[in-house]
Amino acid sequence: MKKGLYEADEAVIDGIRSGDDRALAYLYKLHFPMISHFILSNSGTEDEAKDIYQEGVIVFYEKVKSDNLELTCQIKTYLYSVCRRLWLKRLAEKGRFATKVEDAEHYLTLEDEVPQQEENEKRFDVMEAALNQIGEPCRSLLEDYYIRMQNMQDITDRFGYTNTDTAKNQKYKCLQRLKKLFFAAYQAPV
Amino acid sequence: MLPTRHPFSPESEKIRLQQAKYIAEMEYLMYEQMERYLAGKMVAEEKAAFEALLQTDPRLAEQLKEHRTLLHSMQQYGQRQQLRTKLNAIHTSMEQEAAPKVIPMWQVFWKRHAQTMAVAASVSLLSVFGTLWSVQQMKKPVQQQTAHYVELRREVDKLKKAQTAIIKDINNTAKPAPRPARFSGTGFALSANGYLVTSSHVVEGADSIMIENTSGAKYKAHEVYRDQAHDLSILKIEDPAFTGFSKLPYTFKTTESDLGEKVYTLGYPREDVVFGEGSLSSTSGFQGDTTAYQISIPLNPGNSGGPLLDDKGNLIGVISGKQEGQDGAAFAIKSAYLLQIIGELPLATTLSPLLLPKTNTLAGSSRPQQLKKLKDFVFVVKVYN
Repeated sequence: MKKGLYEADEAVIDGIRSGDDRALAYLYKLHFPMISHFILSNSGTEDEAKDIYQEGVIVFYEKVKSDNLELTCQIKTYLYSVCRRLWLKRLAEKGRFATKVEDAEHYLTLEDEVPQQEENEKRFDVMEAALNQIGEPCRSLLEDYYIRMQNMQDITDRFGYTNTDTAKNQKYKCLQRLKKLFFAAYQAPV
Repeated sequence: MLPTRHPFSPESEKIRLQQAKYIAEMEYLMYEQMERYLAGKMVAEEKAAFEALLQTDPRLAEQLKEHRTLLHSMQQYGQRQQLRTKLNAIHTSMEQEAAPKVIPMWQVFWKRHAQTMAVAASVSLLSVFGTLWSVQQMKKPVQQQTAHYVELRREVDKLKKAQTAIIKDINNTAKPAPRPARFSGTGFALSANGYLVTSSHVVEGADSIMIENTSGAKYKAHEVYRDQAHDLSILKIEDPAFTGFSKLPYTFKTTESDLGEKVYTLGYPREDVVFGEGSLSSTSGFQGDTTAYQISIPLNPGNSGGPLLDDKGNLIGVISGKQEGQDGAAFAIKSAYLLQIIGELPLATTLSPLLLPKTNTLAGSSRPQQLKKLKDFVFVVKVYN
C-alpha cells in the first residue's frame, strides 16, 4: 500500500466515501496505537482497546458514509473523542468510574453528536438481540434477503422451499416475529 | 355483526376463522405493498395510489414507518457486522506486521513505571553520593590525624645500575662488575673491635652487608643480633682487612635527654654523608611511643640507623623513621634501649661483652670539629639480596 496517498485527512475521507478499503486500513493502522495507549493506561486490556477502537472507527465510517460529515477537527481528534466517550461509558457499565482519566490528547465533547450516536448504538444492540432470538433459519433467511440482498429464487433453492411463494410466506412470518421482538425493546425517537 | 349467542358453535367458529384468515391476508397484502414501495418496485400509477392511501390511512402510515425503521436497522446491523469483519481483518494483518516486535511484559512495565523509577533512581543516587560526601567531610579531620610511619631505608637500585653500566663501558674487563646494592641505610660504630648498630629494617632480608665510610674504608659485615621490637640490629665486621677502629669519640647517654636540647645526626640519604641538625621536640615518639624521641631534623630515606647526638657529643639515640606527610617529625630510638640490647648480647650469643667507649672527646669542640672526628665512625650500610 502506498502510504503517501492517504496522508491528508481529506484524502482518507474521500477514500472511505468511495469505498476504498485501503483508505480504511490506512486510517485504522494509523490511529490504533493512540487509542490502545489511552485504554491501556486507563485500566483497560488489549482486547478492550481493539473493541473500543473498532466501534469508534465504525462511528466515523458511518458518519462519512451518511455524508453529513462536517469535520471541524482532525480525524485523529475525532476518533480520540469518540473512543474516549465509549470507554468511559464501558467503564461505567463495569461499575468502575474513572476518577482521573489520563488523557494523552486534546479531545472534544461532541455534544451535538452524542444523542445520535447513542441512538444508533441502542438500535444496533436491540437489533442484534432480536436477531439472536428469532433463531434459525429465520435469521439467515432475513439476513440473506435484506442484508446480503440475494434474490428470492436463490434463497428458495438454498433453503429447500418448494417454491418462491412458500419462501416469501416464510420470510413474511419471520419478519413479523422480528418486528415484534424489535419494537418490544426499541422506541423510535419522536 | 357476529352471532354472539353461540360463541362455540361450529358455525361461528368457521366464520371466525374465515375472518382471521381474511385479516391475515389483508395484512400480508399490505406488507407486500410496503415491501415493494420501499424497494422502489412500484410503477408510477401504483405508487401514486399507495401514497394517496397513506395520506388517508394513518394506521397504514404508522405501519410503513415501523417497517422502514426495521429494515433500516437491519441493514445498518448488517453493515456494521460487515465492517467489523473488515476491521478485524485489518487488525489481524496489523498484528502480523507488528508481530516480530512483540512488546515484552517488562517493556510494558517499564513504560508504565519509567517516570517513577527515574525519580527513585535519582533520589537514591543523590542520597548515596550525598552520604559518601558528607561522611568524607566528617572524616577529613580524622584523616589528618591518621599518621603513617615511614622507615627511612633507601632503595638504590636504579642509581647503581646506571653507574655500573658506565663502569662496564669504560673498563670492558673480564672482571664482573659488583652487583649493586638493593638498599642502604646508615650505621655507626659501637666499639673499637668492630661492632656497629643500625636499624633492623635496613638489614632486613639481607644476603650480605657492606659498610663504607667517607674516608674510603670498606668492610664486609654481618648481623649478630637483632631486636625487632626496638628496630635495632648489631652488626659485626668480619673482614680480614679490618684491624680495629681508633678510639671512639662519643659516649652513650644512659639517662633521658631533655626537651628542647640541640641534637644533630650524620647519615647517608645519598652517596655522601649528610649532616642534619635540630632539636629534641618530644620525649615520646610515634603515637606516644616512649622508647623513642621525636626530633625536628629533616630526614630522608637512607638516614635510618644514623646516630643522634646532643651538643656535648653524647649519643642519645638511633634514627629510625619519620611521620609521613608531617614536616620535621622524625623519630629516634632512645640510647637506653640500645644499651639494653648491648647488655643482652653476651647472654643471647657466644660473643664476648662489648667494650663501650668511656671518654667523650667531642664535648667542648665546635660543631665542625665534632663532625670531623665523628664522620669516620658513621658508615653507609649497603644491603645486598
